[in-house]
Amino acid sequence: MVELRDISFVVGNKRILDGVNAELGERRFNVILGPNGAGKSTLLKIATGMSRPTSGVVRYAGVDVTTLGKERLATTRAVLSQHVELAFALPAEDVVMMGRYPHYGRAPSPRDREIVGRALEIVGMSDRRAQPYPTLSGGERQKVQLARVLAQIWNYDEPRIPKYLFLDEPTSSLDIHYQIHLLDVARGLLDFDCTVVAILHDVNVALHYGDYFLLLSEGRVAAATDSGGITRELLERVFRVRAHRVLDPEAGEQLWRFTL
Amino acid sequence: MTERGRSRLGTGQVCLLLGALLIVAAVASACIGAFTFTPGQVAHYLAQGLGWQAIPVGGNELGRRVFLELRLPRVILAGVTGAVLGVSGTLMQGLFRNPIVEPGLAGTSAGAALGAALVFVFGERTTLAFTAPLGSFAVPALAFAGGFVATMLVYRLSVSFGKVDVFTLLLAGIAVNAVCGAGTGFLSYVARDPQARNITFWNLGTFTTAEWHGVTLVTVCFAAGFAWCMRYGKALNALMLGEAEAGYLGIDTRRLTLMLLVVNTLMVAVATAMVGVIAFIGLVVPHVLRMLKSSDYTFLLPASALLGAVVMEVIDIVARVLIPPAELPIGIITAVIGAPVFLWILMRQRRGLSGFYG
Repeated sequence: MVELRDISFVVGNKRILDGVNAELGERRFNVILGPNGAGKSTLLKIATGMSRPTSGVVRYAGVDVTTLGKERLATTRAVLSQHVELAFALPAEDVVMMGRYPHYGRAPSPRDREIVGRALEIVGMSDRRAQPYPTLSGGERQKVQLARVLAQIWNYDEPRIPKYLFLDEPTSSLDIHYQIHLLDVARGLLDFDCTVVAILHDVNVALHYGDYFLLLSEGRVAAATDSGGITRELLERVFRVRAHRVLDPEAGEQLWRFTL
Repeated sequence: MTERGRSRLGTGQVCLLLGALLIVAAVASACIGAFTFTPGQVAHYLAQGLGWQAIPVGGNELGRRVFLELRLPRVILAGVTGAVLGVSGTLMQGLFRNPIVEPGLAGTSAGAALGAALVFVFGERTTLAFTAPLGSFAVPALAFAGGFVATMLVYRLSVSFGKVDVFTLLLAGIAVNAVCGAGTGFLSYVARDPQARNITFWNLGTFTTAEWHGVTLVTVCFAAGFAWCMRYGKALNALMLGEAEAGYLGIDTRRLTLMLLVVNTLMVAVATAMVGVIAFIGLVVPHVLRMLKSSDYTFLLPASALLGAVVMEVIDIVARVLIPPAELPIGIITAVIGAPVFLWILMRQRRGLSGFYG
């Protein structure tokens, strides 16, 4: 479980986060939702241990992240960002191998190589492993980055050790195909004792994949709930839109349509 | 397109090949010059110098002394300086995440030169009095201070929000280099004549000053710096992803930046204090290696040391034989070769290739 306790973050005299409390469940797909400027990215930086909150504590499975060493932290949680460019050309598999850097010293072990191979397989990039990263399409690059973060927290030798995958608007520059693929892979990780925390923008996509939702508004928690608590009133208030329920007759699924 | 023009040799094999090349170049450099030696003589003198072989009575005493006191330190100094500049270019390109950076551009060399020139000119008159300028630690110390301040300034100016802006980098480099160059120019202007001539010549890069004390200092600083920075191959690779991603991989990027700036400045400043400003080696060497093989820093670091040494030995031979009995300043040769390469890389970058050497 990722536990956020009284997280506040102040820059100058601007309060970006104000007393955020949440418990993001183990082996669940947790979604952080909210309008621009609500403090989602700041909260993710704090939840990943990258920046320190002005006050408050972040705990992974009860352990304060500030007490985890840099290496321990890097093998416990991984972060997939929006889009990652590479300053120089490296083959895709070398980029994925970077995920193993916190695990080995001078040279990768056969096990590290095996994990890189498996990660490439999972994202469906095995046949492109030798291709220079900058020559891949945007969607393919994001697949390689996904493989990299998978490799980073891959630890089957120690089962039951909790792993955390944070996704920072991972699909915002991807077409529908790559979006679904990425989120399917992330969802599949829950079966491997992985906890997912994702910032997503598309409410329907979030409701389809997520188990638990943290809605932020102006640095405060507007709601922390499962899908049942996502009401029309809540969405309209947080996102300043009008929300309409529509039914997808084929899937029998409720969808939201938004207007101003 | 993936493997076009890239060597199929493994990284280890490329390094072995470069090592073999270095031996050939060093032996050639030891043999060629105003005094010509055969490889056999070189071997004998080396063995004698190391005390492995008795010095024959009535042997060629002049030849032996020229070799051991002039030629050999020069060969070593050229090799080590080349290695320093090659590694430095690699480190700086990794740190700035840009292939156009090298110690000449980032202000390290010019700042170090200014620091060293300060001691050359004012050293005798102030409390920094010492007998042999290069024998003292004042020159490398001030060279280090100058190089560090200049590099830090360029880095701070060109990096904002974890990203390097190429145009700011170029402009900051130009400005810092201009200020340091003006300072060094002013010093050679106010200096008395023999010193002024020396500074001017030294500022263009030269190995004629090679003597054992200085060579030892440069070599020790290189060895220590190189051994230290070899630990950062993985970290430099991760830094290619950007500062945030490298941080998520457990790398303390602030510490990394500081360590690299210190180690890099140490190696470059001490070498610059000895041989003057030699530009473009740090640019061309990593560039060739990236095209030839890979941008993986665990390969680039050792390979750029080896290739830098090879290139410098060859250039030093050229400098000695092109217009005998005079010698060309090293910096002029490297600029003639390096500047076109620099412009070519800049044009590739301007064309907006999202990554280099793809």
